[in-house]
Amino acid sequence: MTTAGKFLTGTTAGLILAALVGVAPAVAHHSSTPFYDATKKAEVQGTVTKFLIRNPHSFLYFDETTPQGKVEWQIELGTAASLTRTGWTAETLKPGTAIKVSGQPSRAEGSHGMCCARITRPDGSPIMQGGRLTEEQQPPR
Amino acid sequence: MKITCAALIALGSALAIQTVQAQAPATPARPAAPTAPARQAGDRPPSLADPTTATGRKVDISGTWNGGGRARPVNSENYPWTKENFPVLNERGLAYQKVFDEALAPKYDCVPSTSPAIQYDPYNMQVIQWPDRVLFRYEKDDQVRTVWLDDRQPTVQDYSLQGFSKGHYEGNALIVETDHFLFDITGFDDYNGIPSSQMKKVTEKYWKENNELKMTLTLEDPMFLRQPASYTTRWLPLPASYELTAWECDPETSRAPVKMMVPKYK
Repeated sequence: MTTAGKFLTGTTAGLILAALVGVAPAVAHHSSTPFYDATKKAEVQGTVTKFLIRNPHSFLYFDETTPQGKVEWQIELGTAASLTRTGWTAETLKPGTAIKVSGQPSRAEGSHGMCCARITRPDGSPIMQGGRLTEEQQPPR
Repeated sequence: MKITCAALIALGSALAIQTVQAQAPATPARPAAPTAPARQAGDRPPSLADPTTATGRKVDISGTWNGGGRARPVNSENYPWTKENFPVLNERGLAYQKVFDEALAPKYDCVPSTSPAIQYDPYNMQVIQWPDRVLFRYEKDDQVRTVWLDDRQPTVQDYSLQGFSKGHYEGNALIVETDHFLFDITGFDDYNGIPSSQMKKVTEKYWKENNELKMTLTLEDPMFLRQPASYTTRWLPLPASYELTAWECDPETSRAPVKMMVPKYK
């Protein structure tokens, strides 16, 4: 695994690494443009409530604690295939795990969503070290 | 600037990707072939041991194929329909495109994509060739298209999302012609909001070049297009041991992104 890869986590890492090593990308179900604002960035800390590895999109849900109460965030991730190929499982982000997420915020008024997210522990360290497919599993070039 | 998850992948893959500009090779005139007796849907297929078909000699394109970012630019607003080959819409097509609302795109309810989009989805595909048919299995949305190589004809019962496909071998290529599609609000392209109608006809030409599977797709739909539109693409081979995984689209997460979008209509 590359040095860069070790410090890139979450979907971003998965996708970039997947792309760099040539794993068939399994996103591209829809454009992110109508849903998320690529010109803005959101960064939020919270506690995982639900991690769904599904097709066509996986989703991570977490609660942010604010002075006004809890806010539920919905983070759009890649397909089940893309996540599992990069080493993620349902156990990777168990309910109760503290995380920090940065990414493109959702556009709808009052919504709390992100895509194209970088997910780390609150101190910025990776969620997991390594944990991805090995060279021999890649499709031939 | 539009930035998509697909674009992120495409960016990362840039070094490995080359835009496929290849054109379908010229093929000789279709050779005369013995005529097979007309068959009806539901008839027992001919012997699977027969290596040839009634319409020409078999061209081997079987196997599992990678249609992901290593093979070609990932689909987006700009692929496979680029500035050079973007379809010329008629007034009806332009009107539908103008009123299109992303929220009602069928894909957010696990409805699979159809030709000509399904061939360009960035996922894996398997081709299985039998004497009387060719099966195209798509990893995304668990879709299977059957291309009949015999002389059966479609009935009114054959209108469907993937239409009715018949094919034949011609020179070094498999030619597939599909019609009997249902109206689909994103049936031409689900990134640019272009529909397709029951008048849609799709012709695909598959051939192998080196170790790659190539295809030129041409589409006609006079209900929405002023003239046919076409693109050429490729797949890369996957290891023989690779097996397609079940997609099992989840309705809940399929529609989940929609609430993040500013509604077009209130």
